[in-house]
Amino acid sequence: MSTVTAPSSASTSPTTRSMWRGGRGILLVGLLVLVTALVPVLLSSPGTEGRPLDPGDSSDVGAKALAQLLGGRGVSVERVDSVSALISAAGPDSQLLIGDTDFLSEADARRIAGSGQDRLIVGAVPHLDVLAGGLLVKEHVRTRSREPRCDLRAATGAGSAHLGGVSFTAPAGGAGCYPAAGHPTLVRYTTGGRTVTVVGDGAFMTNLRLAEDGNAALAMNLAGARPRLIWLVAPEQWDPTLAGPEGRSLGDLIPSGVSWAVVQLAVAVGVVALWRGRRLGPVVAERLPVVVRAAETVEGRGRLYRARRARDRAAPALRAAAIDRLAPRLGLPPTAAPDEVVAATAARTGLDAREVRATLYGAVPADDGGLVALAGYLDTLERQVRDS
Amino acid sequence: MALTGRAGLLAALGALLVLAAPDPPMAVLGVALLLAALVVIDLLFAGGVRGLRFHRDGERLVRLGESVTVGLVVENPGRRRVRGVVRDAWPPSAGSAPRHLRVDVPSGQRRRLVTTLTPTRRGDREAVTVTVRSLGPLGLAARQGSHVVPWSVRVLPPFLSRKHLPGKLARLRELDGRHPALVRGQGTEFDSLREYVVGDDVRSIDWRASARRSDVVVRTWRPERDRRVLIVLDTGRTSAGRVGVAPGVAPRVAPLPGQASGWPRLDWSMDAALLLAALASRAGDRVDFLAYDRTVRAWLSGASRTDLLSSLVNAMAPIEAELVEADSPGMVAAVLARAKRRCLVVLLTDVNAAAMEEGLLPVLPRLSSRHTVLVAAVADPRVAAMASGRGTAEQVYDAAAAERLRGERRRITARLRGQGVEVVDALPEDIAPALADAYLALKAAGRL
Repeated sequence: MSTVTAPSSASTSPTTRSMWRGGRGILLVGLLVLVTALVPVLLSSPGTEGRPLDPGDSSDVGAKALAQLLGGRGVSVERVDSVSALISAAGPDSQLLIGDTDFLSEADARRIAGSGQDRLIVGAVPHLDVLAGGLLVKEHVRTRSREPRCDLRAATGAGSAHLGGVSFTAPAGGAGCYPAAGHPTLVRYTTGGRTVTVVGDGAFMTNLRLAEDGNAALAMNLAGARPRLIWLVAPEQWDPTLAGPEGRSLGDLIPSGVSWAVVQLAVAVGVVALWRGRRLGPVVAERLPVVVRAAETVEGRGRLYRARRARDRAAPALRAAAIDRLAPRLGLPPTAAPDEVVAATAARTGLDAREVRATLYGAVPADDGGLVALAGYLDTLERQVRDS
Repeated sequence: MALTGRAGLLAALGALLVLAAPDPPMAVLGVALLLAALVVIDLLFAGGVRGLRFHRDGERLVRLGESVTVGLVVENPGRRRVRGVVRDAWPPSAGSAPRHLRVDVPSGQRRRLVTTLTPTRRGDREAVTVTVRSLGPLGLAARQGSHVVPWSVRVLPPFLSRKHLPGKLARLRELDGRHPALVRGQGTEFDSLREYVVGDDVRSIDWRASARRSDVVVRTWRPERDRRVLIVLDTGRTSAGRVGVAPGVAPRVAPLPGQASGWPRLDWSMDAALLLAALASRAGDRVDFLAYDRTVRAWLSGASRTDLLSSLVNAMAPIEAELVEADSPGMVAAVLARAKRRCLVVLLTDVNAAAMEEGLLPVLPRLSSRHTVLVAAVADPRVAAMASGRGTAEQVYDAAAAERLRGERRRITARLRGQGVEVVDALPEDIAPALADAYLALKAAGRL
């Protein structure tokens, strides 16, 4: 056909200038977003995150208010963040407060239990079976204002307080207060000559709740039972590495080259991603003509007939089609009356006229089986007319 | 720019180096810097892509189902050799192959790359972009850029029914009286007198002329000539439905279950129109062509006999069925405005009860009173298959639905015939020969 040289080509790749021109708006908006996100972070004071039940924390979940109240009543509060410090600080006139201490290992719990001090355990701390032997956790209950309903002086003096969290089954000889569904949420009992007090939840001691109900009184009564209160809190930076017997963790045993090789492999993965991710030219889109089968409407009508079991529509359609095909073969006009068609068909095939009439102009079949049979009869009738 | 697999491999090998190095953090940094330096060097020494110049040559036209080659000349006016891959992107239905072309053009030289197109549907296909990835000497990184190199290939209707043409032409010659079998011409126009030869029909002897000469003379007849045939293609929504199986063109991707692999009615109609046009032009009639839905999509008039078919396929190639209801009064008005003298109007549409009753039937008398009208419609073989479904209740319900549609078609056909309109309603594979036969029958009857 034709061989023509086309007009010359034109590059469509972006130049540095066009990229700068197109991208500077986006860059500016991105910078603005970054600045507006960073400014409040930089201006605000660090460490706003609350540390639950920390005597030095003044946020809602902290317990600085309680610590100050205790100090005002002549109870010295010593904040420690490790079990070793707790043991060494403990003296004969001290009580241990164990609150938000998820980091405790079982060995730590045994050391605390063996230290021979009074203990106030707040919340469902780990290794409760070691720290408060004989006590059984019953179930989780809602924290709300509850009545003491016991004869423990610390509780009756304070009256109602916010308690809940978990309920317990007190060991024999223990006192249980603030019951929820019959099980106490505060239990005080004596084991090994030491008083152990367990409360299901520490909410009543927090800065947020201390002023409500009898919370402050209860907290003072419980925490201020001894002149010194050794308060165990979670350490600022808790090192979860499980050190081996020689103090060397698994991480220490891996040569440092390996982790850096992993870093290098990550770089390699990045390079491979860049390699595979760069497409050779843009994706080509194409407007395609609509793809719709012409028979779709017929199929839809068939499904509708099927869904409604529309034999009263299907049977006349089949009969009309058969009659349309029969009439020319019988030499009849398309407008022939039923009687003529029946008579001509019966004469041609030798079938009984009533049978032919029932097939071509009969009643609507009563069920689907009847419809299938009718289709078969019509086919047979047409064949007989054709072959005769 | 673009990186290559080599760069990734190098970075991965760097991990081994880091593992063995005495100071791993510095080794990571060193490997990264080395890699970056090598990539920068590669990019600096890679051949420039932006300055490349392209030209195309090759075919502009292709029949659907056939392949053409389009050449792409890459000229490198830069100082460095350009080595890498080129992608000559075409729309998916252009069926371009291969996807990537290797290219190696030294400075100041040019190379010709060849892309083969095997289009899978009719219409105009425009080249999209040419993307070049020029590798550096180390093969670690490449410069990449795109160029627009305009070229378009028009995919013409395949005219599959041309296989029927010899047979129909033989019948035409029979009508003409020029058949080798010396059958008496069945035409209606007196052509000429010639000497009697053995085998001629004695009924055609012209006694008066024979008396004037000393020889027996026969009259020859020929069919009427120089009549006008106006082929009107309905490109409305009813032409978009797919029927039958797309012939010849094997689908590159298997159609999804339940999805059509068929051809639109429009394409079958075009095939029939091409056969009719070829036949009518050989028979000495003038063929005009109109494609219409709500406006005139194509109008071809006064094409000479020799280039009628090529003009016709060119006019048909870009036509797609529009998803709008065809404007039948407008179509009739357009036909009446264009056909001043009496002609045969061949209307290629669908005998669809709803569309016909509201659209064409009321306005058809205006057309049929001045012209001979022939309506050709493509029937759906799927409906025929459904109508013969028996056995289960589901199949019988489908059969009833199909029979209902066929009944409506028969009713419309009867009404059209009642208005004096010829109707050809045939399956996709048969529509072209059936339409040609109808034309020949009209011609033999002298009704043009």
